[in-house]
Amino acid sequence: MSARNWLGSLLARIRAGRHRMQDLNRELELHLELEAEEQREAGVPAEESGYAARRALGNAALIAEDVRAVWSMGWWDGMARDLRYGARTFRKNPGFTTVAVLTLALGIGANTAIFSVVESVLLRPLPFTEANQLVRIYSTKDGVPLTPNGSGVSGGPSTMDMRDFAQNNHTFQQMAVYDTWRKNVSFAAREGEPQQMWVGLVPGAYFRILEVKPVIGRLFTAQESYTGKYYVAAISAQLWRNQFGADPAILRRTIRINDEPYSIVAVMPDVIPEWMEGRAIQIWTPFGFADSRGEVWTEAGRGGRGWHSLGRMKPGASLQKAQADLATIAAGLAATHPVDRGIGVALETLSETRAHDLRPMLLLLMGAVSLILLIACVNLANLLLARNSGRERELAMRAALGANKARLVRQLLAEMLLLSLSGGCLGLLLAEVGVAALTRIHPEGLPQLSSLGLNWRALMFTLAVSLLTTLLFGLVPALTGTRLNLVETLKLGSRTTTSGSGAQRMRRALVITEMAMSLMLLIGAALLVQSMLHLQRQDLGIRQDHLLTGHFYLPGVRYPDSGAITRFCDRFGDKVRALPGVAEASVTTIYPPTYNWTQMLTIEGRPATRVQDVPTARFGVTDAHYLVTMGIPLIRGRDFNESDRPDSSPVALVSQELVRRYFPDEDPIGRRIHIGPPAFMQLPSGTDIMDSSDVTIVGVIGDVRNAGLTSSPEPQILVLYSQHPLVNYGFKDIVIRTTSNPRAIVPQVARQLHALDADMPFAQVRTMDEVVELETGSQRFTTALLALFAAVGVLLAAVGIYGVVSFLVAQRRQELAVRMALGATRAAALWLVLKQGVAMAGTGAAIGLLGAWATEKFIRGILFGISPLDPLTFVGGAAFLLAVAAIATAIPGSGVMRLDPAQALRQE
Amino acid sequence: MPTIMAAKNSKTDLLQGTLDMLILRTLLFGPAHGHQIAKHIQRTTDDVLQVEHGSLYPALHRMERKGWIAAKWELSRERNREFKYYRLTPAGRRQLSHEESRWKQVAAAVARVMGRAGEGEI
Repeated sequence: MSARNWLGSLLARIRAGRHRMQDLNRELELHLELEAEEQREAGVPAEESGYAARRALGNAALIAEDVRAVWSMGWWDGMARDLRYGARTFRKNPGFTTVAVLTLALGIGANTAIFSVVESVLLRPLPFTEANQLVRIYSTKDGVPLTPNGSGVSGGPSTMDMRDFAQNNHTFQQMAVYDTWRKNVSFAAREGEPQQMWVGLVPGAYFRILEVKPVIGRLFTAQESYTGKYYVAAISAQLWRNQFGADPAILRRTIRINDEPYSIVAVMPDVIPEWMEGRAIQIWTPFGFADSRGEVWTEAGRGGRGWHSLGRMKPGASLQKAQADLATIAAGLAATHPVDRGIGVALETLSETRAHDLRPMLLLLMGAVSLILLIACVNLANLLLARNSGRERELAMRAALGANKARLVRQLLAEMLLLSLSGGCLGLLLAEVGVAALTRIHPEGLPQLSSLGLNWRALMFTLAVSLLTTLLFGLVPALTGTRLNLVETLKLGSRTTTSGSGAQRMRRALVITEMAMSLMLLIGAALLVQSMLHLQRQDLGIRQDHLLTGHFYLPGVRYPDSGAITRFCDRFGDKVRALPGVAEASVTTIYPPTYNWTQMLTIEGRPATRVQDVPTARFGVTDAHYLVTMGIPLIRGRDFNESDRPDSSPVALVSQELVRRYFPDEDPIGRRIHIGPPAFMQLPSGTDIMDSSDVTIVGVIGDVRNAGLTSSPEPQILVLYSQHPLVNYGFKDIVIRTTSNPRAIVPQVARQLHALDADMPFAQVRTMDEVVELETGSQRFTTALLALFAAVGVLLAAVGIYGVVSFLVAQRRQELAVRMALGATRAAALWLVLKQGVAMAGTGAAIGLLGAWATEKFIRGILFGISPLDPLTFVGGAAFLLAVAAIATAIPGSGVMRLDPAQALRQE
Repeated sequence: MPTIMAAKNSKTDLLQGTLDMLILRTLLFGPAHGHQIAKHIQRTTDDVLQVEHGSLYPALHRMERKGWIAAKWELSRERNREFKYYRLTPAGRRQLSHEESRWKQVAAAVARVMGRAGEGEI
């Protein structure tokens, strides 16, 4: 029944009640009249007949009350009475009530918060029409998404492949290939303060596939989309509001991207979520601009992968059918084009891509938080069982006075309901706070969390969880609490049923499960924390301290050739090195822990004949100051120096891993290598950021992590950008070694950059430590949360064991007093009590260890450097939990020490 | 003069059942309003049983709630005024026969006790 209906029926009942009272009054009045008449007929004088009638009727008010009582014995009114009574008893026991409500709130709140995360990542429907038709298309090698060269989407297909897919498929309505790139953007018509922003390079089809229509203006035409000659741009509604003040004449404004003016032709609604492209895109220009060298749509560009893909399947087409369809086409492509050999295709729905590799983390968090809820329920059940035993007399009295079992159960259930609803409300509040905090600290790798929020689905979830917990912790105490032996209970001083062995066993069992679950949480958290520490202690191969990184881009319009770029970068590097507080600086294109720029090599005298035999290495172009700035050790030979100039013979530095792999038994110094695809592959040089040059190895450097924090370094080759014009692009980074806090010199560096070129933003400024932190963002997130849950779990378990043991102590006071009076030492009495607590904790720990062992596969995926069955962690966790249990047991146990046997016996 | 007071405590429902039975029996003859019922019982028992009017109305409402009788405001033929008439429902008829048989059982049991006691001397 909806809230309005329920309220309506309640009001109707109230109105009916009032009507009934009026009815009764009328009836009684009539009765009095008739009675008075009869009295008069019997001879009573007229003035007295009224009083006589009233006397005969009796107390009218009492009658009215009795009638009201008759009508109010309905279920709802009984329930209301029970609720009020329950509320009163809770008010009288503030300690119990606070603990109970807080425990519930913690369990429910944590679950709701995590559910919100799961909901926004997995469950929330996509903001597009018929969103289940939207898919992404990936290129795979051996079934795994192909890592592209340079930067690009992992598994991103090539443009030519996509064109063939688009032209030959039977299952798609439309497909698009597009890209995103960092560009210098400024909004004022003249030269203004530029920013570096991510720009989408998309065809009009991109928006048509998503069925996103512009708020103002029009989409890119086919010609605009693919030629790269039409300087038009679309901006997001948010940008329109923030930068242009929602100017209604927006279609006459321009925006400068990389120093070129683009006219704005559309304002797009803020519909595309941040996670789709991994970052919020606010500006789009036609895809044609991704093709600066005109090779994207040629056969030479077929090998260039890493592009973004999007497609909308035909209505009624299933993912399997589409997959099979494209796989057939891919097989055909692999047969006709050597560069596509061994490349397969894989489809993923857009909603799947949202969840991606977050699934294991989310499963883990949901499991952990459910454990917390279970522990909370167990605690609560124990609390209620203990409370019930104290109310046995009251319940027995009520039963003796006529309440049947159903009524008693209803009373207890009403109290449970009250508890769980108040716990639920408080939990909702906690969840709100939790979700707000999660949104604020969400790591860059989890853009799905940026639109987190409590919504009605979360509310429904909270309600369901509250009611479920009522059943879980309420039913058992309610049912056992009413299994009363009336006579026994009412006898004074008797041992009663809910303190009997049956209920005791149940309470002990509950505490044991509690211990087990919190141990599982503890072990999980400890494993994650150690994993985190291992990750962060990973040696990058450089001196990581006092290092600042930044990025800038030299637009082709003003820096048209390699010479101009080299001149600018060298001057910038010199100026930064001259700054006070700067020890060293280097203009480069790479820094650890991950960069994907790979080149094929041909070692002189050892040409490869097959594609799979071609040596490859990670590649980077830098200036001569790279080694000293990064602190990379030089193992053999020499570093770059002043003698290496654009016109001198090109030189290269190689890493130890490269030597190990390709020069295992020889000295690489002096050997010559050709960088670039071997001749038999017949790829034009310069395509797909590939070099073509011959270098001489002059030095061997230490390995630096280049394939991520968790993989061992790949072979590495370093050259000078001044000697390699083919790959001397405008995208450059600068790494600066400072003498003190790296952040302190950022303004000065930016000033130097502006002094050379006022339009160039100094972007993506991060210290090396921050870069490493970013890589481990989602790991840290999960670890922090799990550690929090483990702490809460242990706390709850400690409270649980404390509660049970203190109850035990209170219960056995007489017995212990007798024992002590008969000569037992205090220590022996104490041990009697502690023994039970220790036994519970021990059994719980054992079960917990088993449970952690059984569920290790849930955590295996996100661990690094430590086994999910690490014995030290298992033992340490169990020891910690036992220690906590010991303390929790000792506190009430100390009450035994202060027991005065004589007094205790007298209180019998 | 013994009066029938409907007990307020639901446990002692022997006397309460008796009043219910009398009311139901009264209504067997036809619908009546509260005052009529009271007077009828009084007259039929020659004033031996006087229903305390204060217990009548709660009893009537209770039986109405249980569905044994139905109430309706109707125009009285004699007096040209509206009274609240109660009438027996089929469920009420069944309850009446049930109460009757129970009453006969109780009466027989009491008679047996009284008869025996009369023989000996207590």
